[in-house]
Amino acid sequence: MATPPSKRQKREEYRRNLQNQYDAHQTPNVEVAEIKMPQKRFFRQRAHANPFSDHHLDYPAHMDWSSHYPAFLDPDTSKTTLGGARKLLKDVEVVDIGCGFGGLLVGLAPLLPETLMVGMEIRISVLEYVTSRIHALRMQQQKLKNAAIAGTGATSQDSNNTVEQPAIEDEVGNTTAVVPGNYENISGIRANTMKFLPNFFGQHQLSKIFVCFPDPHFKARKHKARIISESLNAEYAYALRPGGLMYTITDVEEYHHWVLRHFEYQSEEEKARGGVKDLWERLTDEELAADPCVHVMSVETEESKKVSRNNGNKYVAVFRRKADPEWST
Amino acid sequence: MESFQHPFQCVKYTKQQSSGSAGFLVASAGRRLYSYSAVNGQCLDAWPKTVESSSELASNDQVPAEKRRKISSAPDAQKEEAKEKPSTKKASGNQLPEWTNIPILLTSSDGKHVVALTADDKCIRVFSLNEDGKLDEISSRTMPKRPSALALTPDGQTILCADKFGDAYSLPLVPGEYTPRVEEAKAFKPAATNLTVHSQRNLQTLKNQITQFEKEAQKSALKASNADESVASGFEHQLILGHVSLLTDLIAVSLPTDASVNRSYILTADRDEHIRVSRGLPQSHVIEKYCLGHTSFINKLCVPSWAPQYLISGGGDDFLLLWKWNEGKALQKVPLEGVSQESEISVRGIWAVSAEQSSGSPVQAILVGLEGSSTLLCYTIEEDTLKYQDTIQLSGNILDLAGLDSRGSIVVSVDNIRESGSTEAWKSGPEVPQILLEYFQVTTDQGSLKWNSAEDPLVANINAAGTSAIATDVDNKQKKALDGVLYSGGVLRKKQFGEDQ
Repeated sequence: MATPPSKRQKREEYRRNLQNQYDAHQTPNVEVAEIKMPQKRFFRQRAHANPFSDHHLDYPAHMDWSSHYPAFLDPDTSKTTLGGARKLLKDVEVVDIGCGFGGLLVGLAPLLPETLMVGMEIRISVLEYVTSRIHALRMQQQKLKNAAIAGTGATSQDSNNTVEQPAIEDEVGNTTAVVPGNYENISGIRANTMKFLPNFFGQHQLSKIFVCFPDPHFKARKHKARIISESLNAEYAYALRPGGLMYTITDVEEYHHWVLRHFEYQSEEEKARGGVKDLWERLTDEELAADPCVHVMSVETEESKKVSRNNGNKYVAVFRRKADPEWST
Repeated sequence: MESFQHPFQCVKYTKQQSSGSAGFLVASAGRRLYSYSAVNGQCLDAWPKTVESSSELASNDQVPAEKRRKISSAPDAQKEEAKEKPSTKKASGNQLPEWTNIPILLTSSDGKHVVALTADDKCIRVFSLNEDGKLDEISSRTMPKRPSALALTPDGQTILCADKFGDAYSLPLVPGEYTPRVEEAKAFKPAATNLTVHSQRNLQTLKNQITQFEKEAQKSALKASNADESVASGFEHQLILGHVSLLTDLIAVSLPTDASVNRSYILTADRDEHIRVSRGLPQSHVIEKYCLGHTSFINKLCVPSWAPQYLISGGGDDFLLLWKWNEGKALQKVPLEGVSQESEISVRGIWAVSAEQSSGSPVQAILVGLEGSSTLLCYTIEEDTLKYQDTIQLSGNILDLAGLDSRGSIVVSVDNIRESGSTEAWKSGPEVPQILLEYFQVTTDQGSLKWNSAEDPLVANINAAGTSAIATDVDNKQKKALDGVLYSGGVLRKKQFGEDQ
């Protein structure tokens, strides 16, 4: 009696096949008929992770980004980082903290094609999905580009055919067009940002940080695990350059007020005492309307789509990092 | 004497500038705090007074109390209660204070105050030290979480406290008038709504929560409004910074800049290998640098007052790191040589001393002690590197060290109970005489340092007088608890990893 394969076995087999597909594409002179996007259902994981426990994480003192953005490698191989890795032409500038399945990154990639962006996710399976999704997108772009070069007329018909196959709904992110940046500018890493953000980014390195639909940690005694807090906001201010933006969106109204409370002074008395809120100012509604990133954040992420499906509300707040104050003596 | 004496957990030397006296040695052993004359080791005061050094003490009171669980729904009320307890001096003769050890001890730079942490009740106690060496408790403040490090700001007016929860607070050294900010009781409103939770189970939970709180609201409305439950913790303290990790050390440094102004900084170290350089108060929310390079927990930070541009850090790694900390730059990785590699290394302490000599400039040295090791490592700083010097061999494991800079000597507290090199193997019986403190005098010979063991009335008298006794018949569990009090560095090491599928 053959028992049906377990969930774990199915997952492993699926991922093996996916890897084979990628490997086949890497070998020259082999034409892969189509590139499959990974399916989320093989990567789902419990929605919560304990940020306080010790995970098996990689958090080097000197991060090696070279494998994440091969298209942005500095051609001069003699240049190396302090950790001895190849240097990139530019630094990572945009971070999505808790990137989940990577919807925001994929949405932002064509918008900021020359900016390196990274998603950070603590759940190992979910991050594997992001990695294979980006991998598949890059290959697809490569294929589309090749097709475009090979012959503009005939192949466009072909490529359309390949893509318009009965798309499995779960395989999101299929595109038919060559997009700016070809998704070479996005990547994902597994990390616990609450503990290890400074291991990845230097002082004032970032221009944007996104926190989209964070785990709300409803219970009061779990509030310490929230990704927004006065102590963490000091770390975000360290990584963000003056003028850089901190984007937040949530569907939980109470969390929205929590965010506001931790970035803005609530009273004159509190303001007189001073603190980390000196470093932040909130953007006006006009500024938000003019920012295309806000639009992407509100509609492109998996979680925002889910909220829309359930007719939930979305609360957006964006804060600009002000310059450091003068040294007090 | 047939019983072990409590070893000195902390030793500090302090000198009051105004008075011409030779200063005091302040030390903690067991649950008591002592002050000694630095001239002849005469015991000037002990606190609390009621704990007698007679060996009659019931042995089961000598081990730390089980970690108390908070059962009460109003922890604030409990806190208040703990605070109101008189400083146990007036307590009846056989009543013991509720802590078992004093793991942290500070002296203010003017020598007039002593700050001590009593462990089990998480209480920061400030004492005034008068010209006769008498200790008077002037305040006791119970912190919400267990403090892991204390420091005083360069101006000496503020205590900085880092805790096991990753937060650091500032408290005035001498608490002034404090009117707690009254927070209005908020009506409960669940943060979740049916727009944010969707699964059937979650929806049911939410529904139950709402009905539950409606019931309670009705009840409390009946009880009238005098039940003012929002009690603040009763003294002024402000959150100044936080790590999402366990803070292990905190130091406050003042660094001269080019413009002949001093800038103050706060350096914090955590269990997740970070050293954070923040600005000093009131701008501690501005992070200036991170010093990254350790691969295991960090336990101790040391910025020598005579070379404040350098930082020496150590912990669970088998090396120390020397930093130019205001640039976040590691200058040197210093392997911990001459140490047995049998067990995992944990740095116990890093001390900077500046020992004056009869002629020439003072000898500036960095002394490093490892947990459960009787070898004290010695370095000097030369051209951005730590230079290895002759080690000091002690009669037992190092516990703490105090530099008597004006005499060119150091006093080292050693573990008289456990075998050298072990954190858990007890000696079969007390040695006669018991050595609690050792005294070393420095000499230099063509640039290399030598620390010579010396006899001095200071340590001779203290050793002879002893501290308080530990009964000889303590069982293994009690021994373990006592071991844990003195040797706690190892628990910081990461052993279990969670939720990685």
